[in-house]
Amino acid sequence: MTRHILITGVSRGLGLALAQKLLDAGDTVSGLSRHLSADYETLQKKHGKRARFKAFDLKQASHIKSEVFDDFLPFDLPLHGFVNNAAVAYDDLVTNLDLDRFRAMNEVNVLAPITLTQHAIRHMLFNRVAGSIVHISSVCAHTGYKGLAMYAATKGALEAFSKNTAREWGERGIRSNCVVAGFMETDMSASLSDEQGKRIHSRTALKKATEIESVAAAVVYFLKDGSSSITGQNLFVDSGTI
Amino acid sequence: MHDPNLNVANVLTELLGIVNMVRENKGQLLLGELTPEMKLREDLGFDSMDLAELTVRIDERFKVDVFEAGLVDSVDEVLNRIGGGKASKNN
Ligand SMILES: NC(=O)c1ccc[n+]([C@@H]2O[C@H](COP(=O)([O-])OP(=O)(O)OC[C@H]3O[C@@H](n4cnc5c(N)ncnc54)[C@H](OP(=O)(O)O)[C@@H]3O)[C@@H](O)[C@H]2O)c1
Repeated sequence: MTRHILITGVSRGLGLALAQKLLDAGDTVSGLSRHLSADYETLQKKHGKRARFKAFDLKQASHIKSEVFDDFLPFDLPLHGFVNNAAVAYDDLVTNLDLDRFRAMNEVNVLAPITLTQHAIRHMLFNRVAGSIVHISSVCAHTGYKGLAMYAATKGALEAFSKNTAREWGERGIRSNCVVAGFMETDMSASLSDEQGKRIHSRTALKKATEIESVAAAVVYFLKDGSSSITGQNLFVDSGTI
Repeated sequence: MHDPNLNVANVLTELLGIVNMVRENKGQLLLGELTPEMKLREDLGFDSMDLAELTVRIDERFKVDVFEAGLVDSVDEVLNRIGGGKASKNN
């Protein structure tokens, strides 16, 4: 069966890789990000109408119902999954916390994903779809890294939200899980120096960066029926961070 | 009321269809009639999850989120929310 999956942050990085994987498998993707990237446009050329796109800034969480759902995801287009992938990382020492930057990060990493989940579940209820929700968390919510306390807090919030969503909506067959990613080589981690990268990798069993493909494959697994008895879980795809 | 052709009788008929969709899914008997004084929990047998489904179906049909402005208890209150307080009084 082919599915219709909403993914945030499809312009690059993990979200793009995931969109590509699902499209190649015949699924329909509704992608959100602020920019339509050349890479996503290439996917649109290849997959036509199955590669849907809406330019949307997740800082506008209060516009999600009208702009994302009413306009872009009407009820007559059943939704089988939602992948909360887009996020921003504001890093600094706790003692340097800038409240405005912290608020902005929370809007994108926590408020918008929770609001998207609200409407995704409503959509699934309307169409009686036993849908799957997947949040992308980060290993830093479990293992401390200097400078990432505020960012890690947003991921911890999502993990708690996911577990409770799983409990609340399980009786309707709706599942919620987290894929806890290790450090991947994307734009988000581009500001790390080689030295920092080495130090992070040395904390893993595999001694290397987490492969985007491996994280995307774990997300696909949670979206498919093969994981139908798994909910409320965190799956670590992190090169074995120890 | 967003649609000028709607009056209380029509809305009640549409609501009955929506209520029965929710009841059918739970294996409950279909209701033959819906009256304004009926209570959503006691008379319709809805729990909070059923009420969430009801909300979505009403939102889809009438473009009104009936629970947005606080809890509703009876069919009459649902009618009021749908009609912005006018429907059940004027018709
Ligand atoms: N990279 C890592 O090492 C790492 C490690 C653990 C977990 N993660 C998590 O993995 C996920 C994917 O990260 P990534 O590495 O692929 O990041 P990335 O390369 O920086 O991509 C982030 C994506 O999110 C979108 N985005 C950012 N801000 C947005 C906003 N305000 N509104 C809408 N879209 C927005 C971006 O698109 P636009 O710029 O076009 O809006 C982009 O498509 C994130 O949840 C991240 O926290 C990453």
